[in-house]
Amino acid sequence: MRALLREPLVHFLALGALLFLFFEWRGGAAGPGSTRIVVTPGLVQHLASGFARTWQRPPTREELKGLVDEHVKEEIATREAAAMGLDRDDTVIRRRLRQKLEFLVEDEAAPAPPTEADLRGWLERHPQAFQAEPRTALRQVFVSVQRRGAAAGAEAQRLLGRLRTAGPGASIAELGDPSMLPAELPLGPVSEVARTFGPDFAQGVAAAPTGQWSGPVTSSYGLHLVLVTERVTPPLPALADVRQLVEREVLAERRKAQIEALYTRLLGKYTVTIEMPEEQPQPASSSPGAGAR
Amino acid sequence: MTPHPIARWCLAAVLAGAAPLAVLAQDAGEHNPADLEKAFPKKAPYSPYAGRNYPTRPLFGDTHLHTAFSMDAGTFGARLTPADAFRFAAGAEVTSSSGQPVKLSRPLDFLVVADHSDGFGFFPLVVSGAPAVMSDPQGKKWHDMIAAGQGADAALDIIRNFAAGKMPKAIFPVPGTATYRDAWQKAIQAAEGANEPGRFTAFIGYEWTSNVGGGGNNLHRNVVFRDDASKASQVEPYTTIKPLGSDDPVELWKWMAAFEQKTGGDVLAIAHNGNLSNGLMFPTVETFAGGKVDRPYAEERSKWERLYEVTQTKGTGEAHPFLSPNDEFADFELWDKANLDGTQVKTKEMLQFEYARQALKNGLILEQKLGVNPYKFGMVGSTDSHNGLAAVEEENFFGKTAPQEPSAERLAKAFFVDPKTGVKVMDWEVGASGYAAVWATENTREAIFDAMERRETYATTGSRMAVRFFGGWDFEAKDAHDRMPARVGYVKGVPMGGDLAKAPAGKAPSFLVAALKDPIGANLDRIQVVKGWLDAKGEVHEQVYDVAWSGGRKPDPKTGKVPSVGSSVDVANATWTNTIGAPELIAVWKDPAFDPAQRAFYYARVIEIPTPRWTAYDVKYFGNKPEPGTRMTITERAYTSPIWYTPN
Repeated sequence: MRALLREPLVHFLALGALLFLFFEWRGGAAGPGSTRIVVTPGLVQHLASGFARTWQRPPTREELKGLVDEHVKEEIATREAAAMGLDRDDTVIRRRLRQKLEFLVEDEAAPAPPTEADLRGWLERHPQAFQAEPRTALRQVFVSVQRRGAAAGAEAQRLLGRLRTAGPGASIAELGDPSMLPAELPLGPVSEVARTFGPDFAQGVAAAPTGQWSGPVTSSYGLHLVLVTERVTPPLPALADVRQLVEREVLAERRKAQIEALYTRLLGKYTVTIEMPEEQPQPASSSPGAGAR
Repeated sequence: MTPHPIARWCLAAVLAGAAPLAVLAQDAGEHNPADLEKAFPKKAPYSPYAGRNYPTRPLFGDTHLHTAFSMDAGTFGARLTPADAFRFAAGAEVTSSSGQPVKLSRPLDFLVVADHSDGFGFFPLVVSGAPAVMSDPQGKKWHDMIAAGQGADAALDIIRNFAAGKMPKAIFPVPGTATYRDAWQKAIQAAEGANEPGRFTAFIGYEWTSNVGGGGNNLHRNVVFRDDASKASQVEPYTTIKPLGSDDPVELWKWMAAFEQKTGGDVLAIAHNGNLSNGLMFPTVETFAGGKVDRPYAEERSKWERLYEVTQTKGTGEAHPFLSPNDEFADFELWDKANLDGTQVKTKEMLQFEYARQALKNGLILEQKLGVNPYKFGMVGSTDSHNGLAAVEEENFFGKTAPQEPSAERLAKAFFVDPKTGVKVMDWEVGASGYAAVWATENTREAIFDAMERRETYATTGSRMAVRFFGGWDFEAKDAHDRMPARVGYVKGVPMGGDLAKAPAGKAPSFLVAALKDPIGANLDRIQVVKGWLDAKGEVHEQVYDVAWSGGRKPDPKTGKVPSVGSSVDVANATWTNTIGAPELIAVWKDPAFDPAQRAFYYARVIEIPTPRWTAYDVKYFGNKPEPGTRMTITERAYTSPIWYTPN
């Protein structure tokens, strides 16, 4: 019995019973459907403070009366409209109600902060989302197709032979055809390679070995012999460095799951029948929920 | 067919001061060969990065983009905010105002969101149903109209009220009100949040939108801050509405000076669309406001307005065929029918005060007369798009406004029509242009801003070609074969935007000019050098020289002009091939008609081979039929900032 007295549900029911008795005593509920409208001092204060926020001063007596009148009209209109079922087919109202319901559920997700293990697990399962871009450094020798035409391929092969003999330290200052294209790209994000030389070249570089001259790689400028001098794949960041980001992702995922669970639970209460028009293909399954997602 | 009279009322903007110019006014004339040898040793240091303190890659960006915070943009359906605009420019995929997914082919390097200072943030205020708006009958009406899906009607109603000066005072944001400050803070915060030094630069800025002569003569300027929120927050943008603001650029410059004095900050202003100013953008005698074009005017203008936006969606304003009858490339994406809103038809006499090349020439005359050249500006291109999307690639053009985003109808719609003057501009005439290219030493606000102030910039019509242009006295043919042309260029000369003086006896200026095509773009047709000069009789002249071109084309022996490169465009399929043109062009060119006693300027123009215009991509995608006369191909180009020669 003592345990029962501590149960929040019992508190809740007891409070509800008291409220019920109170409204009975006041003469009819004040909720939707009733014909009784009560404007409490608290509500008047709320209206007045809304006014004051906008106008930086309290409302005059006249203005306050206007605000209260407006509120009463709105309350009457809402009840009458609801009684006539005007809210039922209104897409805006339906969406808003759905949104409110989902907000309620989302709020439930918020109070429990994710544990250390939750965050660590998430980071391990989704490394790409938090990893910095890989970095590449390269050297390249350019062979101009514009200048050499069909002979460019043979020239590229000849240079490749020389470069391979000379190795990664080859002096390239005087090799190949002159161009505004940089002969070296210092260690930088791989996207910078595509930005300078174009996507075809970037693809060729991605496939090239590290520490060895290879090619020719084709770009929209011509042919390139390429030496990737360095590749750095940044390690997965420590949780401490990306904690906030991970937390945001975990909470977002939790909210999504919560809403999914809500619909799964509620769908159990409903029998959903979906009748597709003749010419449309039939849905694969007619189990509850198939049409609600 | 609803015309969108966007231009009918542009808004004004605010702002502030450009920094005193530490321009690289190098004197290339004093080099002697021994010094050169030392500075540019035959053998490069072992470390290829050592001593490389010059910019190695151009940074591409847009200095002129509007979002929903601009009143006109918002009323016509723009929903993207400054934060969205920065994300998009930095390479993210976003959903456009018309609900279409869109992404750039590659990220931009920097962006200035420049919303109109008049009515800053008005539209988001109305859409959100802020309490102040809802308590105003007019504001509530507009909010309800938009909420009920009658946004277009609301827009027209708002515009009618604005044009008639009947905006409800209680809700129209003007500097000094809480709503205005709030919107300005949001814009600042968006830039602060998006600014990633080294990767992507987000500038704080706004547009001061002066329309004079009855409302349609365009004197707009974009104001760009070098500074962060701590300084920009100390002011609110300058507007055009009296008594807080003014429509006279002279007053804007005062505001800029006051900002710098108050905060120690640094601002610059970039004018645009002289082509829609109806003869008012580059005055030579008197300004529209009755002010004299005298020495103080020249000093102020050249101090605050270091750059001019020479190409954008509302036309390209480098040259006009009427002013440059011998330039067969001058007839390019022109908007020369009227002023900004079509209320006043253009006359030929106005053109000389509207186009960049003529202004550069008139600047030489004014410099001779006043001692200061008011029109010593560099070039940039930008979009002036009003939907938060700096998307001006031909195959990815998202229009100037939200209603102009891709649709099967846009090729047939009118941009604006004025029934009184009969002026009509079609949406297909809107250009997918342009970008600003900046030779900055690093991707930060400070480095890009400083490069803008020293005019080391060029304009492109949307392509991302790399263009180098150096002037000096000692460039020789073999420099064009150097493997690091930029190093030679900086050692022997000054870069674009610089100055030459003290001509060594018997020498003519020589120029090293090089262009590398956009890595995913079309080949290059040719590089030209445009020269303008002032002769002994006080008359100005111009000459366009072809200096490098693809293939073995032979210049015409009489005119010296290189014949057309031809075309590989398949309009029906919206494709082309790089079977003509060259991926890279480089040349050293020496002025063959140099007179050391005459003032002159030189700039480079790089022209791509023809490619499909955005209209061709539209027809291919939507399968619609273009209106007769619709241009379906384009030759994208770049215009560098000039290098000036001034006699002693």
